Amino acid sequence: MKIIFNNTTIDIVPTDASYRVAIGDKTVNAEILRADTEHGKLDLLLDGERVTAYISSDNARRWVTVDGQTFVLTKSSASRKSGSGHHHAAGELTAPMPGQVRVVNVSEGDSVTKGQTLLVLEAMKMEIRIQTPMDGVVKKLLVVHGQTVEREQKLIEIVDKLES
Amino acid sequence: MFKKILIANRGEIAIRIIRACRELGIRTVAVYSDADKNALHVQHADEAVHIGAAPPRESYLNADALLRAALSSQADAVHPGYGFLSENASFAAAVDSANLTFIGPSADSIRAMGDKAESKIRMKEAGVPTVPGAEGLQSLPEFENAAREIGYPVLVKASAGGGGKGMRIVWDANDLPEEIDAARREALHAFGDDRLLIEKYLPHAHHIEFQVFGDKHGRLVHLFERECSVQRRHQKIIEETPSPLLTPELRRQMGEAAVKAAQAVGYYNAGTVEFIFDPASSAFYFLEMNTRLQVEHPVTELTAGLDLVQWQIRVAAGERFPYSQEQLTQRGHAIECRVYAEDPASGFLPSTGVLLQYIEPHGPGIRVDSGFRAGDEVTHFYDPLLAKLIVHAEDRPAAIRKMQAALRDFVVQGVVTNIDFMQAVLAHPDFAGGKVSTRWVENNFNWEPPSSPSFESLVAAALADFTIVNRQSSIENRNEPDPFSPWKNPSGFRN
Repeated sequence: MKIIFNNTTIDIVPTDASYRVAIGDKTVNAEILRADTEHGKLDLLLDGERVTAYISSDNARRWVTVDGQTFVLTKSSASRKSGSGHHHAAGELTAPMPGQVRVVNVSEGDSVTKGQTLLVLEAMKMEIRIQTPMDGVVKKLLVVHGQTVEREQKLIEIVDKLES
Repeated sequence: MFKKILIANRGEIAIRIIRACRELGIRTVAVYSDADKNALHVQHADEAVHIGAAPPRESYLNADALLRAALSSQADAVHPGYGFLSENASFAAAVDSANLTFIGPSADSIRAMGDKAESKIRMKEAGVPTVPGAEGLQSLPEFENAAREIGYPVLVKASAGGGGKGMRIVWDANDLPEEIDAARREALHAFGDDRLLIEKYLPHAHHIEFQVFGDKHGRLVHLFERECSVQRRHQKIIEETPSPLLTPELRRQMGEAAVKAAQAVGYYNAGTVEFIFDPASSAFYFLEMNTRLQVEHPVTELTAGLDLVQWQIRVAAGERFPYSQEQLTQRGHAIECRVYAEDPASGFLPSTGVLLQYIEPHGPGIRVDSGFRAGDEVTHFYDPLLAKLIVHAEDRPAAIRKMQAALRDFVVQGVVTNIDFMQAVLAHPDFAGGKVSTRWVENNFNWEPPSSPSFESLVAAALADFTIVNRQSSIENRNEPDPFSPWKNPSGFRN
């Protein structure tokens, strides 16, 4: 069986009492010594080496901690679309994190220049400036002063002067 | 002694204070906002009072609501913790006026030191060295003139400030107007006061602070230094004591200056005098005094062998602090790492979400002060500090090794943390050599997360998924479950 995480294919073949796991040209014999489902903990023997992994699942994402290092993996499968799924247009600015809109410096129709601070968000007592990556015109302003926004929420759309 | 203390704070520090109260036989009252209804600090306390909505201004910064909670629960003292209203002189005065005891210094001491501009003037008068700069400026031209006189780079910071909020380094005169506006707004939101001061910025300086402690009978001592130079966004992430830079003679000089600074404002209870230390000249300058318990107080507790929070409560109740300066010593070396829900790979932006896994390390010489457990949500309303991991060992190299081992055993999933980042700092030769200045992370440390997940992590994740699929298909076929399946209960693994 093939499982894909972060565009890497992992091939698992059950054998007598263990598994053959192959990634690219690297193959390992994996034995599951213990599995604690409640705590998402796996004690493995990989080619005779003890490895303890903590795993949790959050939709298509897997959080894996091995030897103190944590990785976030995204699973791709036939039933799920691969990748993050959302694609932003160049002039579409989104909130990098949840927070509150503290300052709105522009209105729809305003001309803006690259690097100009359009909005300021406050989150966890820090200020985050939302700056335009290009020259253009504010086509849409999707938030107001004081509004609470979620991560990845669209804030403002900038278009080329010609497009407006 | 007090019978009941209200803790005007949340998270790990509220729990830390509750523990101290319990050991002293004092009942505790926690307060909570809408977002903290099920928070750990609420469950630790004997009683809990709801004080308002999730935004801090409507709850943990709402002095009236806190006072009402203290009076209705018949508490006889209020411990402010750190942050929030801990350095708000009006709050301390209001607590006193309500015939309750504020566990901290007098409102006058807080007022004198809380204003960064006024405190600098007082320190100059007391003969404590201060950084070149200007206070009490209003208009942009005044700031521009002062900055030109001092010479760039300059530091603009909130008069009422602390904790890196409302603080901006300005390298170029062109950036000054925008940075002043930003610092003003941050200061206003964080402290309700937008006054700023400006001073010379020393790029290679270390941050070395001294813990001071006094009772209400005139005894005032220092409890040695803490080196807090590993910082990002002007906020400390790793602190230790003793500082690898101080000689016994420098320690004596700086300790005396710290006591002199505290005496100048009639200080009692726990406080911290922060210095900027220039390793090239061994010169030190007063930076500010924090008139409260410090986040990093545990490293002092472990090396000095004192419970600072219990002593805060005891001297607030009028007890004498029994140790003279000569009786106080330090033993071994202690380091604290602040485990933050933040992503070092994207500018240390806070990371929010539900803690899918949360396992703290244990072992001799390992202490964890935390306010979270698995299943809790880390929200954007409050500081993203998840836990403080503190170790104590015989000497600095042993303490570093202990911290590295403890961080390896700390498992946090569901939010991104700075654990890998701190591991990389601890392993760096500059850290081992005590060469980390406050700007080191920004200027000298090019950390990048691993570009691809490790082979072991991919194998483990794939095996976990594979065995679930097998288990589910074997149930559908009404066959015996897969004998190798670790997932006896597939629902335990949240798919």
